[in-house]
Amino acid sequence: MKSAEGNKGTKALWRVLALLLVFVMIAAACGDDDGDDGEADDGSTASDDMDDGDMDDMDDDGHDHDDDMDDDGHDHDDDMDDMDDGDMDDMDDMGDMDGDFSAAFLYISPVGEAGWTWAHDQGRLYAEEATGIPTVFVDSIDDTSAADTEAAIRTLVADGHDVIIGTSFGYMDTMEAMADEFPDVVFEHVSGYKANETNFGNTFGKIYQPRYLTGMIAGAATETNQIGYVAAFPIPEVARGINAFTLGAQRVNPDVEVVVQWTSTWFDPAIEGDAADALLEGGADVIAMHQDTTSAGLAAEAAGARWVSYNSDMSEFAPDAYLASAIWNWGPRYAEIISSAADGSYAPGFYWGGYADGIVDIGSIADDVDSDIVAQVQDIRQQMIDGTFAVFSGPLFAQDGTQLLAEGEVMDPGMLLGEAFFVQGVVGDIG
Amino acid sequence: MIRPVLVRREVPVRGGQPLAFAVGLLVALLLGAVLLLVAGDSPMEVYRRMLSASFGDLEAFSVTLNRAIPLALAGLAVAIAATMGLWNIGAEGQILFGATTAAGIAQIGEGWSGPVLILAMIVGGSIGGALWALGPAAAKAYIGVNEIITTLMLNEIAVRLIRYLINGPWKDPEGYGFVQAPALPEQSFLPNLFQRTHIGLLIAIAVLAVIGLMVSRSSWGYELRVAGSSGATAAYAGISLKRKILTVLVLSGAVAGLAGGIELTGNATRLTETVSNGYGFAGIIVAALALMRPSGVAAVAVLFGAVQVGGQSIKAIGVSDAVSTVLQALILFGVIAAGVLIVYRIEMAEPKVRST
Repeated sequence: MKSAEGNKGTKALWRVLALLLVFVMIAAACGDDDGDDGEADDGSTASDDMDDGDMDDMDDDGHDHDDDMDDDGHDHDDDMDDMDDGDMDDMDDMGDMDGDFSAAFLYISPVGEAGWTWAHDQGRLYAEEATGIPTVFVDSIDDTSAADTEAAIRTLVADGHDVIIGTSFGYMDTMEAMADEFPDVVFEHVSGYKANETNFGNTFGKIYQPRYLTGMIAGAATETNQIGYVAAFPIPEVARGINAFTLGAQRVNPDVEVVVQWTSTWFDPAIEGDAADALLEGGADVIAMHQDTTSAGLAAEAAGARWVSYNSDMSEFAPDAYLASAIWNWGPRYAEIISSAADGSYAPGFYWGGYADGIVDIGSIADDVDSDIVAQVQDIRQQMIDGTFAVFSGPLFAQDGTQLLAEGEVMDPGMLLGEAFFVQGVVGDIG
Repeated sequence: MIRPVLVRREVPVRGGQPLAFAVGLLVALLLGAVLLLVAGDSPMEVYRRMLSASFGDLEAFSVTLNRAIPLALAGLAVAIAATMGLWNIGAEGQILFGATTAAGIAQIGEGWSGPVLILAMIVGGSIGGALWALGPAAAKAYIGVNEIITTLMLNEIAVRLIRYLINGPWKDPEGYGFVQAPALPEQSFLPNLFQRTHIGLLIAIAVLAVIGLMVSRSSWGYELRVAGSSGATAAYAGISLKRKILTVLVLSGAVAGLAGGIELTGNATRLTETVSNGYGFAGIIVAALALMRPSGVAAVAVLFGAVQVGGQSIKAIGVSDAVSTVLQALILFGVIAAGVLIVYRIEMAEPKVRST
């Protein structure tokens, strides 16, 4: 569910070197102009000679290659058969929980010290500890590049990993295709909307629950009654978060407004910082956000405002601004996926866990938050764990005042999953 | 004060680029070994891994070749333009617009049969790439606008065009609100030739061979090279420079666009703004190391395909992304630097006195 920014390193390298090379070659060409004309002639003669040679080589290569291909093609079929047999044996062994079983994780960005990928890596470490099954990860795989994603997955499968967990939205299509091609490997995708019947499942969580709690804390903290929300993309997951946050804020402060500023980014420190600045200048004194950088928090810190972080507890990055955070706790779910895959009981599906499953929670709460508010938050949190509190329940009104849910009604999962509206109190357009 | 200067060799070192590759690679691997040791990784293990992930078996090699296809076509695009002394820095954008055109055709031809749709998408990709290069080509030919600037800037415009399409008119109606293009129809996927190498390989080989022959053997190619070495000579010989510039840059764009069409049908599941995967820029390095010769492009593309695949693979054995990137940088630097030393030699010269 993050952007392509993660893999900028390697691609930027090729790009910078290419432009550098153009620069150097232009500079070199300019230098040559000082010389006599003979040089250019020499150059083209040399290139004629080389061309002839190389063209012949090319033809040869072409033929060789065809030959290789035919031969190898046959070998390959044999290999495939062997492979299948091998894998079947492995499958039998899997029940025995022998030491060979292992899981691999695919990340969009480096693990870093906080945020989306860091939270997943904490989950990986937890699962490794809990199941005793070794895990590896491959980071900075661009999820908008199917070629990169596929190459990474093929490497992991060739390495013999039995479970592959992909933690970014864009891996979805490729994982679906790979699950088809490698039926003996379990593929679990985080944050998407696809699954199959046998070895490809989906996992996500009700992060809107802790968002409601952070909304309560933010609603109590604002003095201007205006909270700025630096929002990522107008998709149901983000809208749900904004709505839940707003309802939480309204619970403790009926006059509060939540102003939404879209960034169309998952990870862009500059744009997200600018959006936070714009909201602060517009009168907001608390900032919430959905992206994976701390820049909204840094903007709040610089303006003397407050901040609610997401993905992981980011209190250390803006200690004065930090109020609370909605955080992911992937570990138990990952342990469940890996151990069920190991003992053969894995069943794919659409997992959407909430507080009761321990996959979401709130991070630390700032010391200066009113103890009465903290007590209320703890109370609702316990009700969420017990399953007795529904964030989206009636009476609920849409942004334009139409009633969505009557008194006593609870939003059904279909409406919840497709949430493409704002509730009353949110300022801004969706989409 | 004595300072080192680069002096062009009268005759390039025997063995040329292959030697440069070998030496550059060796130096890079030695430097890389130091880096890996410092980072706490075992150089032998990492190098063995890079080799096995890119050339280890047929499956690995097929992934390398899969990546070499767009690299080779992008390299060829840059090389064609460079034959005439023109810089097409916009292969990336031409690949993107080629892929965009192909994706548009896929939307129209959703119900077409596989071969028809694939052919239309690949040809459409090529036309798209040519169109994307047409502006810079015309501006260069008729008003002398520097093609480096225009082709480079159009890269960014291509990215933003795709972003606009994906956010607006082409937003996937079945994507649950996610910002993405619609999935490509299944029959548009390019069939595999063997393992993961798709039939784009044959197209790339054919295009490389045809254009290589055109440049080296045809009168058209001869005129191109004459125009490239001296515009005045070309004009004296009655070669229309304007027309040459126009055709060469548009052909260059068509080849890059072809890579876009092939990449979309061969590897993507839907159009994304990174479907070009940086191949357009990598193509510049490929072309430069192939000394701008279409014939050398293929070999360099395979090597770089291996560097990219191998570089990514070592992350699965615990090498950090940063170390993997630096390792790729060392290999690129090593090979480029050695390539320079094949053509130039370093001399110690006193600045004020001119030897010779």
